[in-house]
Amino acid sequence: MSLDTTLKKLSVRSPWLFRINAGSCNGCDVELATTACIPRYDVERFGCRYCGSPRHADVVLITGPVTTRVRDRVLRVWEEIPDPKVTVAVGICPISGGVFREGYSIEGPLDRFLPVDVNVPGCPPRPQAILEAVVLARSIWLKKLGFE
Amino acid sequence: MAGFLKVLFRNVLEGPSTDPFPLGATFTPDRLRGRARINPELCMGCGICHNSCVAGAINITHLPDGSGYTITIWQNSCCLCASCRHYCPTGAMSITSDWHSAHPDTDKYDRLEQHTIKYEPCAGCGTLMRPIPAALAKRLYAATPHLDPEKIRHLCPDCRRQEDAKRNAGIVTATTTETVAAREIVSAAPTKY
Repeated sequence: MSLDTTLKKLSVRSPWLFRINAGSCNGCDVELATTACIPRYDVERFGCRYCGSPRHADVVLITGPVTTRVRDRVLRVWEEIPDPKVTVAVGICPISGGVFREGYSIEGPLDRFLPVDVNVPGCPPRPQAILEAVVLARSIWLKKLGFE
Repeated sequence: MAGFLKVLFRNVLEGPSTDPFPLGATFTPDRLRGRARINPELCMGCGICHNSCVAGAINITHLPDGSGYTITIWQNSCCLCASCRHYCPTGAMSITSDWHSAHPDTDKYDRLEQHTIKYEPCAGCGTLMRPIPAALAKRLYAATPHLDPEKIRHLCPDCRRQEDAKRNAGIVTATTTETVAAREIVSAAPTKY
């Protein structure tokens, strides 16, 4: 039990990010790549880094309106992320459907299928706005862990 | 080796290139499209913005008692294309550079730009109507200095038409049949620039 708490306290500064593209136009994905790859924004200052496996992730960033083809896959990958996880909807598409709302192949918005914690509207949002959302997601994540 | 040292010294002298943003200030360009705004002084409720909005973010609802209308922008659906600003005939739409859009999901439906605009009675017949904004009326009647934009903007379209008919009738009776050409120029004078 004490080892468990010690491990949690050690890992508390580093929420790892995972990115799911739920049928996005790639605009928001480019902005997410910008926050990680361009030194000017540098999301790794907050201990966050993008990881390749959903099983390693703590914060999941979802872009795109949830399309029919990708919906079940998004849900399957989302289920694989261990609790406690924080879901961030990036861009107007996962939040409200945006310009694709009521399209024949659109199942979204995202919160019909899974609980969303943080929204960042924008088409696409500014890298600084995404950084703000990551900081907000981190504080929610710490609350879920019971550290704040 | 020498190239590496050059880069190292430059980095030491110039400091990090990382924007200090969540911990410090950041740079915001003036023309950044961050958040749509409505100026309730200028909005006429014509609905051009509602029809040109690709994301369906703008809604105009008439009040049930017919005393005005409510115009709403849901920021979480707005894709910041600025179509509303481009097509708004009165210039009521603007887009501010406020880009701080991250919010928890509980505030999802609270991020609205909403104005309820009441109609005013027409100065001529008393029917409820939205007066033309003063700046727009000044622009519209700039070519006709003998008309008072302040007076005419409080008239409903029907009363304006009647006033115009009376004025034209006055011109017709005052000028005789010889000056047909002058009359034609008056009626064809452009009102919008």
